[in-house]
Amino acid sequence: MNLILDLVLRLAVWMLLAPLLPGIINKVKARVAGRRGPPVLQLYYDLAKLWRKGVVLSTLASPGFVAGPAVAWVALTGAAMLMPLGPAGSILSFRGDVLLLIYLLALARFCTAWAAMETGSAFEGMGAAREVSYAVLAEAAIIAAVLSLSVQTGSVSLVTMLSPSAGAGAVLLAAGLFTVLLAENCRVPFDDPNTHLELTMIHEVMVLDHSGPPLAAILHGASVKLLLFALLLVQAVLPTGKSSPLVAAGALVAGVLVVTVSVGLVESFLARLAFRRVPLLLTTAFLFCLFALLVAWKGGAE
Amino acid sequence: MTPGPLLLFAFLTLATGVVVGVRLSRTWLGLTLAGTVSGLSAALMVLLGAPDWEWRSAFSLGGEFVHLRLDGVSALFLVLLCMGGGAGAIYARDYWSEHRYPDSAPRGRAWWSAMLLSMGLVLTVSNGLHFLIAWELFALCGYFLITLDRQRREVRSAGWVYLVASHAGTVFLFAFFSTLAARTGGWDLGPMREQTGLAPLFWLALVGFGVKAGFFPLHIWLPSAHANAPSHVSAIMSGVAIKMGIYGIVRFSGWLPVPSAAGWVVIGLGATSALLGIAFAFAQNDFKRLLAYSSVENIGVILIGVGAALLAVTHGDALWGRLAFAGALLHVWNHGAFKSLLFFGAGSVLHATGTREMSKLGGLWRTMLWTAGFFVLGSLAVSALPPLNGFVSEWLVYLGLFDAATSKGPAAWAAMPAAIMLAMAGALAMASFAKAGAMIFLGAPRTQVATHAHECGMWMRGPMLALAVVCVTIGLAPILFWPVVARVVGSWRPAWITMEAPAPLLTLGAVHVGLAILVLMAAAWLWRKAHANSLRRGLTWDCGYAMPAARMQYTSASFGGIVAGWFGWVLQPERKMRRPRGPFPAEAIRLERIPETVLDRIIGPVSVAIMQVSTSVRRLQHGRLQFYILYVVAGLIALGVLVLLGGAP
Amino acid sequence: MSGEALNLLIGLAMGLNLLALGTSRLPSLIRAMSAQGMLLGLMPLLLEAENLDWRILLVVLATLVGKGLVIPGLLRRAMRAANIEREIQPFLGYVPSLLLGACGTIAAVALARALPLLPEHARSLLVPGAIASVLTGFILMIGRVKAISQVCGYLILENGIYLFGLLLIHSTPWLVESGILLDVTVGVFIIGIIVDRIQRDFDSLDTRKLTTLRE
Repeated sequence: MNLILDLVLRLAVWMLLAPLLPGIINKVKARVAGRRGPPVLQLYYDLAKLWRKGVVLSTLASPGFVAGPAVAWVALTGAAMLMPLGPAGSILSFRGDVLLLIYLLALARFCTAWAAMETGSAFEGMGAAREVSYAVLAEAAIIAAVLSLSVQTGSVSLVTMLSPSAGAGAVLLAAGLFTVLLAENCRVPFDDPNTHLELTMIHEVMVLDHSGPPLAAILHGASVKLLLFALLLVQAVLPTGKSSPLVAAGALVAGVLVVTVSVGLVESFLARLAFRRVPLLLTTAFLFCLFALLVAWKGGAE
Repeated sequence: MTPGPLLLFAFLTLATGVVVGVRLSRTWLGLTLAGTVSGLSAALMVLLGAPDWEWRSAFSLGGEFVHLRLDGVSALFLVLLCMGGGAGAIYARDYWSEHRYPDSAPRGRAWWSAMLLSMGLVLTVSNGLHFLIAWELFALCGYFLITLDRQRREVRSAGWVYLVASHAGTVFLFAFFSTLAARTGGWDLGPMREQTGLAPLFWLALVGFGVKAGFFPLHIWLPSAHANAPSHVSAIMSGVAIKMGIYGIVRFSGWLPVPSAAGWVVIGLGATSALLGIAFAFAQNDFKRLLAYSSVENIGVILIGVGAALLAVTHGDALWGRLAFAGALLHVWNHGAFKSLLFFGAGSVLHATGTREMSKLGGLWRTMLWTAGFFVLGSLAVSALPPLNGFVSEWLVYLGLFDAATSKGPAAWAAMPAAIMLAMAGALAMASFAKAGAMIFLGAPRTQVATHAHECGMWMRGPMLALAVVCVTIGLAPILFWPVVARVVGSWRPAWITMEAPAPLLTLGAVHVGLAILVLMAAAWLWRKAHANSLRRGLTWDCGYAMPAARMQYTSASFGGIVAGWFGWVLQPERKMRRPRGPFPAEAIRLERIPETVLDRIIGPVSVAIMQVSTSVRRLQHGRLQFYILYVVAGLIALGVLVLLGGAP
Repeated sequence: MSGEALNLLIGLAMGLNLLALGTSRLPSLIRAMSAQGMLLGLMPLLLEAENLDWRILLVVLATLVGKGLVIPGLLRRAMRAANIEREIQPFLGYVPSLLLGACGTIAAVALARALPLLPEHARSLLVPGAIASVLTGFILMIGRVKAISQVCGYLILENGIYLFGLLLIHSTPWLVESGILLDVTVGVFIIGIIVDRIQRDFDSLDTRKLTTLRE
C-alpha cells in the first residue's frame, strides 16, 4: 500500500512538475530580451490543447510513427523513476541501475529517430543523423561522469552514488554535466529550439511531422528529460547527503531552479554553434568529466 | 541418460545427412533437426548439472587415441551451434531452394551438415592433433559454403580471402599445438595450469584463434565473406563460426597458464575492435557488410569481458572478473541469437528485392511487415537496449568494469577506458541499426526494385520467430540463465564456482517485464487515442517544394556522413567526383566507397611490395648452367671465408 | 594550506592550456596565454609566503606587467597590423589537438610520479603542470600555421619552463625570474619585428608561404 502511494506521488511530482522547466527557461529568455514572454505555465496549456487535437499522419508512415513517441515516453518516465529525488530516494534502486537509466535514455533516442525516419523526409533524416551522431560523444561524456561518481563513492547504484558529499572535482563535473545537459536536451549552443529553418535544427526537425497526442507525449517526455538531467547535475555536485531531509529538499529545488535559470541565460547570451564545431564542444564536455574522474581517482588514492 | 549416446546419435544423423543431403532434401532436414536437437539436449544436460562427459576410444586415428570431452565451456558453445545450425537448415529450405539454385542447393545441404559436424568435433575433441584436423575441416566447409554461388566474381574473391586468412591463422595454431605437444610430451589436452612454462604459447593461440574470431586487425576476411555468402551461411558464420575462435581463446586460457600481460592486451583488442568495428559498420551502404562489421564490434565486447576475466585472474581472483566473464559468455549466446535473426531478416530482404544496397530500398514495411518487425527487434537487441537480451549481457560486462574501476587497483586503468569505448560503441551501434532499419523499411521506395518486394514464406519466418523468442526470453528472464552461465564460469576456472548471482538479475528481469508491458500498453493506448481524436493522412512536409521525389530521402551515406568524417583517418574512403558543369548540367557523379582499410591499404600494398621483391629475386633463376655453377662456387667461397674467420660449428 | 592554493592555481593554468589548444580565435589564444602568465606570476607570492621580500614583490609585479600587459599588447598590435583574427586551417585539427593535450596532461601527471622529486614537491602539481605546458607549447608550435599562434605556443612553453624554475625558488630566487623574463621580452621584441617584416614583404602571415627565400 505504501509502495503504491509512493509510486503515485513520485509519478505526480515528475509528470506535473517537469513541464514547469521549459516555461521558466522561456520566461528567462524573454525577460533578458526585454519582453514579457509567455506565461510560465504555457507548456501545460499546450499539452492540454495537443491532447485534444487530431493527428495527421504522413501517407508514408507506419503505426511505428505513433508507437515511437509512446515507447520514448515510457522509457523517459522509467528513467525518471530510477533517478533519486534527494532524501526521498527512488522507487527502485539496485546495483547497476545507473546503466539502465543511460540505456533507457538511449531507447528513447532510438524511438525518436525511428519515428523521424518514418516520414521519409530529408529534413527528418538530417535531424536523426545529427542526433544519433552527436549522441556518441555525449554518451562518452555521461559514462565518464558516471564513472567519476562511481569511483568517488565506490558504488554503482544511483542512490548511493549521488548522496554523499561532493568531491574536489565538483566544479569540473558540474561544467561537464551542464554541457551534456545542454546537448542532450537540445539547447543552445547545440540546437536552437526557436529556429524555423529546418536545415539548422536537430531535435525540432525530428518532431516536425508529429501532431496531436503523440506530439504532446514528445514534449512532455522532453521536459521530463530536462528535469532528469537537472536533478542529476544538482545531486552530483551539491553535498546534500549529510543534511536533514527538509534542508536537502530545499537545496534540491533551489538547485534545479538555478540550473533552469542558467539554461535560460545561456540561451539568451550564446549563439548556436556551427555544426562542424559541435564535436569540439562535446569533446570539451567529455574532457571535463574525464578530468573529474581523474581528480576523484587521485582523491581516493591519497 | 548420459550425454554420450545423444552425442553419438547426433554424429550419426549429421554424417548421414552429409551423404543424403545431395539427393533427398526433406530427409536431410529431418536428419539435421534430429541431430541438432540431440546435440542440444546433450549440451543442456551438462549445463544444467550433469557431470562432465569424457570418452576415450580404443582405436587410434592418425596415431592418437580419440579423446572427447563435453564440459561446461564446450556445452555453452554446443548449444549455440545446435541453435544456429537447426534454424539455418530450416531457413535454407526456402531461401536457397532447389527450385532457384538447382546445382548449388544439394551441395549446400551436404556442406551444411559437414560444417555442423566439424564444428561439433572442434568443440568436443580434447587432443591437439585431432583438434587441428577438425579445425581444418571446419575452415574448408566454411569456404565451400561461402562460395555456393560461385558464378559471381565477388563471391569467389571473398572465398579466397577467407581461405587465405583462415590458413594464416591455422599456421599459428599448428605452431601452438605442436609446441604444446613438444613441451608436455603428448598431444593430449586437458587442464595444465601448473606448468607455468607454457604461458607464452597464449600469444600464438590468441593470433590463431583471433583470425577466426575476427577482432581488429585480424578481421580482414570477415566483411566480404559474410556479405557475399548466402544469408543462412552468413548467419551461421557470424552467429556460430566466429565464436569458435572465442571458444579457442576461452578454452586455452582456462586450461593453460596465461602471461600477466594477457588481460591488458585482450581488453585493449576488445575495446579497439568494438569501437572501430562499429565505426566501419556505420559507414557502410551494403546492409550485409554492415551486419558483418557489427559482428566485429560484438566480438570486441566479448573480448572485453574475457580480458577482464584474465586481468582478474592475475589480480587475485577478483569478483569483478567473474561478472565480466559471465557477461561475455551470455553475450556469446545473445549475439548468436540476434545476429542470426538480423541476417535472416537481411536474407529475406535480399530474397525479395535482389539487392544489398540500402540506398536502393525503402518503404518495405508495407509489403514485408513480418521481416520489418523481426529486423526492428533484432536492431533493438544488438543496440543493447532494454528490455532485450543485448542489454543484459552488456550490463553484466559494464558492472564488471565498474567494479574493477571502483576497486582502484591497477586493473582500473584498463577498465575505465574500456567502459568509455564500450559506451561509444554502443551509441554507434544504435545509430547504425537505426540507419539500416530506417533505410530499408521506412519511407518510400527509392528505386524500382523496392516496389516489387514480397514477404517471405513460413519456412523463412519460422526460424526468425524462434530466434526472436530466444532474444525476448533472455531479456525478460535473465535469472533463468544465470545457473548455466555460472556453471560455465566454474568450469573455466574451478576457483570461481559460485551459485549466487553477484548482480541483481532478478530485479533487472522484473524491471524488463514491467517495461515491456508498459511499452506495449502505451503504444496501443496512444494509437487508440489518436484514432479517437481524429486521424487524417497527408503528405510529408516538404517545405513547399513542388515536386518531391522518393530519391530526395536521406540516403545511408548521408546518414553516416558525420561519423564517417570523424573516423576518416581509419576509414580512408575512396572518392570519385564529377562536378556539375555549365549553366544546365546534365549529370553529376559523387561516389564514395569505404574499402576494408586494413586489407586494402596495409596488407594489399605490403603484399604487392613482397611480390615485387620476389619477382626481382626470380631473375636469379634464368636457366643458364654456367651461372648456376657460379652460384655453387660463390657459396663454397663464402663458407670458406666464414670458416677462416673462426665461425665455430 | 598554501599547497592547496598552489595546486588550484596550477590546475587553472593547465585548464588554460586546453583552452589555448581548443580555440580558433587568436584574441582568445592571446588572452589564455597572458592569463596563464599572470597566474604563474603570482606563484612566488604563495611559495615564499613566509619570508616575503621586496625583491620577490618586484619580480611578481614585473612578471604581471610583462606577461599580462606588455607581451599581449605587442601581440595584439601584430595581429591588428596583419589583419587576422582566426586560424582557419591548422595542420592539426582542433579536436585532435585538444585530445592530444588532454593525453599529454594525464601522461605528465603519471610521469611526474615516476621522477625522483624532493618530498615537498612530490605532492604538488608543479612538475606535471610544467611538463603539460611544455607539451602544449609544442603542440601549438607544430600544429598551427599562423605565426602569431606559434609565438603564443612558444610563450606557453616558456611558462612551462618558468614553472620548472619555480622548483629552485628557495635557492636562487630572483635570478631565475629575471633571467627568464628578460629572455622572453627580448624574444617577443624580435618576433614582433619579424612578424611585421613577414607581413610587409609577403603580405601574409601564413608560414607555409615561407618556403622560398627571396631577396
